[in-house]
Amino acid sequence: MKFNPDDIMMLAGTIWESVLSLPIETDEPGSVGNHPRSMAACIQISGAWNGAILLDCPVEFARLAASVMFSTEPANAALPDLQDAIAELVNMIGGNIKGLLPETCFLSLPAVVEGGDYSARVPGSTPVGRVAFVCQGHRVSIVILEKTREETAAA
Amino acid sequence: MPQAQTIESAVNPNLVTPFINSVRDVFDKMAGVKITAQEPHLKAGKSTGHDISGIIGFSGAVAGSVVVSFPKAVAERLVEAFVRMPLECGTPDFVDAVGELVNMIAGSAKPYLGGVASISLPSVVIGQGYTVASMSSTPCVIIPCSSPHGDFAIELCIARQAGA
Repeated sequence: MKFNPDDIMMLAGTIWESVLSLPIETDEPGSVGNHPRSMAACIQISGAWNGAILLDCPVEFARLAASVMFSTEPANAALPDLQDAIAELVNMIGGNIKGLLPETCFLSLPAVVEGGDYSARVPGSTPVGRVAFVCQGHRVSIVILEKTREETAAA
Repeated sequence: MPQAQTIESAVNPNLVTPFINSVRDVFDKMAGVKITAQEPHLKAGKSTGHDISGIIGFSGAVAGSVVVSFPKAVAERLVEAFVRMPLECGTPDFVDAVGELVNMIAGSAKPYLGGVASISLPSVVIGQGYTVASMSSTPCVIIPCSSPHGDFAIELCIARQAGA
Protein backbone atom coordinates (compact mmCIF):
# COMPACT_ATOMS: atom_id res chain seq x y z
CA MET A 1 0.00 0.00 0.00
CA LYS A 2 1.47 3.35 -1.06
CA PHE A 3 0.61 6.70 0.46
CA ASN A 4 0.43 9.76 -1.75
CA PRO A 5 2.80 12.48 -0.44
CA ASP A 6 0.15 15.11 -1.18
CA ASP A 7 -2.30 13.27 1.08
CA ILE A 8 0.27 13.06 3.88
CA MET A 9 1.08 16.76 3.51
CA MET A 10 -2.61 17.65 3.64
CA LEU A 11 -3.07 15.51 6.72
CA ALA A 12 -0.02 17.02 8.43
CA GLY A 13 -1.09 20.53 7.47
CA THR A 14 -4.51 20.00 9.01
CA ILE A 15 -3.04 18.68 12.26
CA TRP A 16 -0.42 21.42 12.49
CA GLU A 17 -3.04 24.08 11.85
CA SER A 18 -5.60 22.70 14.30
CA VAL A 19 -3.22 21.76 17.13
CA LEU A 20 -0.41 24.28 16.79
CA SER A 21 -2.05 27.00 14.71
CA LEU A 22 1.10 26.94 12.59
CA PRO A 23 1.37 26.60 8.82
CA ILE A 24 3.71 24.18 7.10
CA GLU A 25 5.56 24.56 3.81
CA THR A 26 6.96 21.90 1.55
CA ASP A 27 10.64 21.48 2.31
CA GLU A 28 13.14 23.03 -0.03
CA PRO A 29 16.43 21.15 -0.11
CA GLY A 30 19.20 23.14 1.54
CA SER A 31 16.83 25.57 3.17
CA VAL A 32 17.43 24.30 6.69
CA GLY A 33 20.73 23.61 8.40
CA ASN A 34 21.76 20.67 10.54
CA HIS A 35 20.40 20.48 14.06
CA PRO A 36 22.61 19.34 16.92
CA ARG A 37 19.81 17.49 18.70
CA SER A 38 16.69 15.94 17.28
CA MET A 39 13.67 13.94 18.32
CA ALA A 40 12.05 10.97 16.64
CA ALA A 41 8.61 9.74 17.59
CA CYS A 42 7.41 6.35 16.46
CA ILE A 43 3.92 4.90 16.59
CA GLN A 44 3.07 1.43 15.41
CA ILE A 45 -0.02 0.14 13.69
CA SER A 46 -0.93 -3.53 13.87
CA GLY A 47 -3.85 -5.60 12.73
CA ALA A 48 -5.19 -5.74 9.18
CA TRP A 49 -2.21 -3.57 8.17
CA ASN A 50 1.10 -3.60 9.93
CA GLY A 51 3.60 -0.81 9.95
CA ALA A 52 4.90 2.26 11.70
CA ILE A 53 4.98 6.02 11.42
CA LEU A 54 8.14 7.94 12.22
CA LEU A 55 8.12 11.67 12.91
CA ASP A 56 11.53 13.32 12.98
CA CYS A 57 12.19 16.93 14.00
CA PRO A 58 14.75 19.15 15.70
CA VAL A 59 14.43 19.52 19.45
CA GLU A 60 13.73 23.22 18.93
CA PHE A 61 10.60 22.37 16.97
CA ALA A 62 9.49 20.06 19.77
CA ARG A 63 10.05 22.94 22.19
CA LEU A 64 7.92 25.22 20.03
CA ALA A 65 5.16 22.60 19.78
CA ALA A 66 5.21 22.02 23.54
CA SER A 67 5.01 25.73 24.24
CA VAL A 68 1.91 26.02 22.06
CA MET A 69 0.25 22.86 23.36
CA PHE A 70 0.90 23.56 27.01
CA SER A 71 0.63 27.35 26.86
CA THR A 72 4.07 28.04 28.23
CA GLU A 73 7.17 29.90 27.13
CA PRO A 74 9.42 27.75 24.93
CA ALA A 75 12.28 28.20 27.40
CA ASN A 76 10.11 26.81 30.19
CA ALA A 77 9.14 23.62 28.38
CA ALA A 78 10.84 20.65 30.03
CA LEU A 79 11.97 17.49 28.23
CA PRO A 80 8.84 15.51 29.24
CA ASP A 81 6.72 18.32 27.75
CA LEU A 82 8.68 18.09 24.50
CA GLN A 83 8.29 14.31 24.45
CA ASP A 84 4.56 14.54 25.14
CA ALA A 85 4.09 17.15 22.42
CA ILE A 86 5.84 15.10 19.77
CA ALA A 87 4.13 11.93 20.97
CA GLU A 88 0.76 13.65 20.64
CA LEU A 89 1.55 14.83 17.12
CA VAL A 90 2.60 11.37 15.94
CA ASN A 91 -0.41 9.90 17.72
CA MET A 92 -2.70 12.21 15.76
CA ILE A 93 -0.94 11.38 12.51
CA GLY A 94 -1.26 7.69 13.33
CA GLY A 95 -4.93 8.06 14.11
CA ASN A 96 -5.58 9.76 10.79
CA ILE A 97 -3.51 7.23 8.84
CA LYS A 98 -5.34 4.42 10.62
CA GLY A 99 -8.58 5.83 9.27
CA LEU A 100 -7.30 5.19 5.75
CA LEU A 101 -6.43 1.57 6.46
CA PRO A 102 -8.56 -1.56 6.26
CA GLU A 103 -10.32 -2.53 9.47
CA THR A 104 -9.37 -3.57 12.10
CA CYS A 105 -6.11 -1.86 13.04
CA PHE A 106 -4.73 -0.86 16.43
CA LEU A 107 -2.40 1.98 17.35
CA SER A 108 0.37 1.44 19.87
CA LEU A 109 1.39 4.17 22.28
CA PRO A 110 4.10 6.39 20.84
CA ALA A 111 7.74 6.11 21.83
CA VAL A 112 9.97 9.17 21.58
CA VAL A 113 13.74 9.24 21.16
CA GLU A 114 15.74 12.38 21.90
CA GLY A 115 19.44 12.86 21.35
CA GLY A 116 22.23 14.19 19.24
CA ASP A 117 23.83 11.05 17.87
CA TYR A 118 21.45 8.24 17.09
CA SER A 119 19.67 6.47 14.27
CA ALA A 120 16.22 4.92 14.50
CA ARG A 121 15.33 2.05 12.22
CA VAL A 122 12.44 -0.35 11.83
CA PRO A 123 13.87 -3.64 10.60
CA GLY A 124 11.58 -5.72 8.40
CA SER A 125 9.80 -2.71 6.94
CA THR A 126 9.93 -0.55 3.84
CA PRO A 127 8.95 3.11 3.39
CA VAL A 128 5.59 3.50 1.62
CA GLY A 129 5.14 7.22 2.19
CA ARG A 130 7.47 10.07 3.02
CA VAL A 131 7.17 13.84 3.27
CA ALA A 132 9.38 16.63 4.58
CA PHE A 133 8.18 20.09 5.41
CA VAL A 134 9.25 23.24 7.18
CA CYS A 135 7.42 24.77 10.12
CA GLN A 136 8.69 28.07 11.53
CA GLY A 137 12.11 27.31 10.03
CA HIS A 138 12.31 23.81 11.48
CA ARG A 139 12.54 20.82 9.14
CA VAL A 140 10.11 18.03 10.00
CA SER A 141 9.80 14.68 8.24
CA ILE A 142 7.17 11.97 8.36
CA VAL A 143 7.86 8.46 7.10
CA ILE A 144 5.26 5.71 6.86
CA LEU A 145 6.75 2.21 6.96
CA GLU A 146 4.98 -1.02 6.05
CA LYS A 147 5.95 -4.39 7.43
CA THR A 148 7.53 -6.50 4.71
CA ARG A 149 8.19 -9.82 6.39
CA GLU A 150 6.96 -12.03 9.16
CA GLU A 151 9.08 -12.10 12.28
CA THR A 152 9.95 -15.65 13.19
CA ALA A 153 9.05 -15.98 16.83
CA ALA A 154 6.21 -13.65 17.71
CA ALA A 155 3.66 -15.74 19.53
CA MET B 1 9.24 -2.57 51.18
CA PRO B 2 7.92 0.86 50.22
CA GLN B 3 9.39 0.66 46.71
CA ALA B 4 7.75 -2.72 46.00
CA GLN B 5 4.41 -1.35 47.22
CA THR B 6 4.84 1.62 44.92
CA ILE B 7 5.46 -0.64 41.96
CA GLU B 8 2.47 -2.82 42.77
CA SER B 9 0.20 0.15 43.16
CA ALA B 10 1.39 1.64 39.87
CA VAL B 11 1.78 -1.41 37.66
CA ASN B 12 -0.03 -4.73 37.62
CA PRO B 13 2.62 -7.32 38.62
CA ASN B 14 0.93 -9.78 36.26
CA LEU B 15 2.24 -7.61 33.43
CA VAL B 16 5.83 -7.73 34.71
CA THR B 17 6.37 -11.40 35.49
CA PRO B 18 5.78 -12.63 31.90
CA PHE B 19 8.63 -10.42 30.70
CA ILE B 20 11.00 -11.69 33.36
CA ASN B 21 10.20 -15.23 32.29
CA SER B 22 10.38 -14.49 28.58
CA VAL B 23 13.76 -12.73 28.68
CA ARG B 24 15.21 -15.72 30.55
CA ASP B 25 13.64 -18.23 28.16
CA VAL B 26 14.52 -16.41 24.94
CA PHE B 27 18.19 -15.91 25.77
CA ASP B 28 18.51 -19.40 27.22
CA LYS B 29 16.88 -21.21 24.31
CA MET B 30 17.97 -19.00 21.42
CA ALA B 31 21.42 -17.88 22.53
CA GLY B 32 22.43 -20.30 25.28
CA VAL B 33 22.87 -17.37 27.66
CA LYS B 34 21.64 -17.46 31.24
CA ILE B 35 19.94 -14.22 32.29
CA THR B 36 19.38 -13.13 35.86
CA ALA B 37 16.57 -10.64 36.32
CA GLN B 38 16.97 -8.36 39.32
CA GLU B 39 14.36 -6.57 41.39
CA PRO B 40 12.13 -4.44 39.15
CA HIS B 41 11.80 -0.80 40.10
CA LEU B 42 9.79 2.16 38.92
CA LYS B 43 11.51 4.35 36.38
CA ALA B 44 12.47 7.72 37.76
CA GLY B 45 13.57 10.47 35.42
CA LYS B 46 15.32 9.76 32.15
CA SER B 47 15.64 6.31 30.60
CA THR B 48 18.61 4.01 30.98
CA GLY B 49 20.78 5.77 28.42
CA HIS B 50 22.22 2.67 26.81
CA ASP B 51 23.68 2.55 23.31
CA ILE B 52 21.32 0.08 21.63
CA SER B 53 17.58 0.01 22.25
CA GLY B 54 14.95 -2.28 20.77
CA ILE B 55 11.42 -0.92 21.11
CA ILE B 56 8.21 -2.82 20.51
CA GLY B 57 4.65 -1.63 20.96
CA PHE B 58 1.63 -3.44 22.37
CA SER B 59 -1.94 -2.69 21.45
CA GLY B 60 -5.31 -4.27 22.20
CA ALA B 61 -6.03 -5.56 25.70
CA VAL B 62 -2.60 -4.34 26.76
CA ALA B 63 -1.17 -1.11 25.37
CA GLY B 64 2.21 0.49 25.69
CA SER B 65 5.77 -0.22 24.80
CA VAL B 66 8.66 -2.39 25.84
CA VAL B 67 12.22 -1.14 25.46
CA VAL B 68 15.20 -3.48 25.78
CA SER B 69 18.39 -1.41 26.14
CA PHE B 70 21.96 -2.63 25.96
CA PRO B 71 25.40 -1.10 26.17
CA LYS B 72 27.10 -1.58 22.79
CA ALA B 73 29.58 -4.23 23.93
CA VAL B 74 26.86 -6.27 25.63
CA ALA B 75 24.59 -6.08 22.59
CA GLU B 76 27.41 -7.23 20.32
CA ARG B 77 28.15 -10.24 22.51
CA LEU B 78 24.51 -11.23 22.96
CA VAL B 79 23.82 -10.86 19.24
CA GLU B 80 26.89 -12.99 18.50
CA ALA B 81 25.57 -15.68 20.84
CA PHE B 82 22.16 -15.43 19.16
CA VAL B 83 23.26 -15.62 15.51
CA ARG B 84 26.39 -17.72 16.18
CA MET B 85 28.65 -15.22 14.44
CA PRO B 86 30.00 -11.74 15.18
CA LEU B 87 28.09 -8.87 13.59
CA GLU B 88 29.30 -5.33 13.40
CA CYS B 89 27.15 -2.91 15.36
CA GLY B 90 24.94 -0.82 13.13
CA THR B 91 24.90 -3.15 10.13
CA PRO B 92 21.48 -4.20 8.80
CA ASP B 93 22.00 -7.75 10.05
CA PHE B 94 22.87 -6.46 13.51
CA VAL B 95 19.77 -4.26 13.56
CA ASP B 96 17.68 -7.21 12.38
CA ALA B 97 19.08 -9.40 15.14
CA VAL B 98 18.36 -6.86 17.87
CA GLY B 99 14.86 -6.37 16.50
CA GLU B 100 14.32 -10.11 16.40
CA LEU B 101 15.46 -10.57 20.00
CA VAL B 102 13.07 -7.87 21.19
CA ASN B 103 10.31 -9.35 19.07
CA MET B 104 10.89 -12.76 20.64
CA ILE B 105 10.89 -11.38 24.18
CA ALA B 106 7.64 -9.52 23.56
CA GLY B 107 6.10 -12.39 21.62
CA SER B 108 6.90 -14.91 24.35
CA ALA B 109 5.40 -12.70 27.05
CA LYS B 110 2.29 -11.78 25.10
CA PRO B 111 0.19 -14.92 25.75
CA TYR B 112 0.57 -14.44 29.51
CA LEU B 113 -0.54 -10.79 29.70
CA GLY B 114 -4.27 -11.56 29.67
CA GLY B 115 -6.63 -10.71 26.85
CA VAL B 116 -5.88 -10.36 23.18
CA ALA B 117 -2.95 -8.09 22.44
CA SER B 118 -0.98 -7.38 19.30
CA ILE B 119 2.68 -6.59 19.10
CA SER B 120 4.06 -4.17 16.57
CA LEU B 121 7.14 -4.12 14.42
CA PRO B 122 10.26 -3.60 16.49
CA SER B 123 12.15 -0.33 16.22
CA VAL B 124 15.88 -0.26 16.87
CA VAL B 125 17.74 2.85 18.03
CA ILE B 126 21.53 2.96 17.88
CA GLY B 127 23.58 5.85 19.16
CA GLN B 128 25.00 7.56 22.19
CA GLY B 129 23.52 9.86 24.77
CA TYR B 130 19.94 9.54 23.63
CA THR B 131 16.83 8.96 25.74
CA VAL B 132 13.74 6.91 24.98
CA ALA B 133 10.41 7.95 26.45
CA SER B 134 6.89 6.63 26.27
CA MET B 135 3.76 8.60 27.04
CA SER B 136 4.45 10.11 30.44
CA SER B 137 1.05 9.10 31.83
CA THR B 138 1.99 5.42 31.65
CA PRO B 139 3.99 4.15 34.65
CA CYS B 140 7.25 2.52 33.59
CA VAL B 141 9.02 -0.34 35.31
CA ILE B 142 12.69 -1.12 34.83
CA ILE B 143 13.78 -4.76 35.03
CA PRO B 144 17.58 -4.80 35.38
CA CYS B 145 19.07 -7.93 33.80
CA SER B 146 22.49 -9.50 34.17
CA SER B 147 24.21 -11.89 31.79
CA PRO B 148 27.71 -13.35 31.56
CA HIS B 149 28.26 -10.80 28.77
CA GLY B 150 27.18 -7.80 30.85
CA ASP B 151 24.11 -6.00 32.12
CA PHE B 152 21.15 -4.65 30.21
CA ALA B 153 17.63 -3.49 31.07
CA ILE B 154 14.03 -3.96 30.08
CA GLU B 155 11.75 -0.96 30.40
CA LEU B 156 8.03 -1.77 30.52
CA CYS B 157 5.56 1.02 29.92
CA ILE B 158 2.39 -0.99 29.49
CA ALA B 159 -1.05 -1.04 31.02
CA ARG B 160 -4.19 -3.07 30.68
CA GLN B 161 -6.85 -1.25 28.75
CA ALA B 162 -10.20 -0.49 30.35
CA GLY B 163 -12.83 -3.01 29.34
CA ALA B 164 -10.27 -5.37 27.81
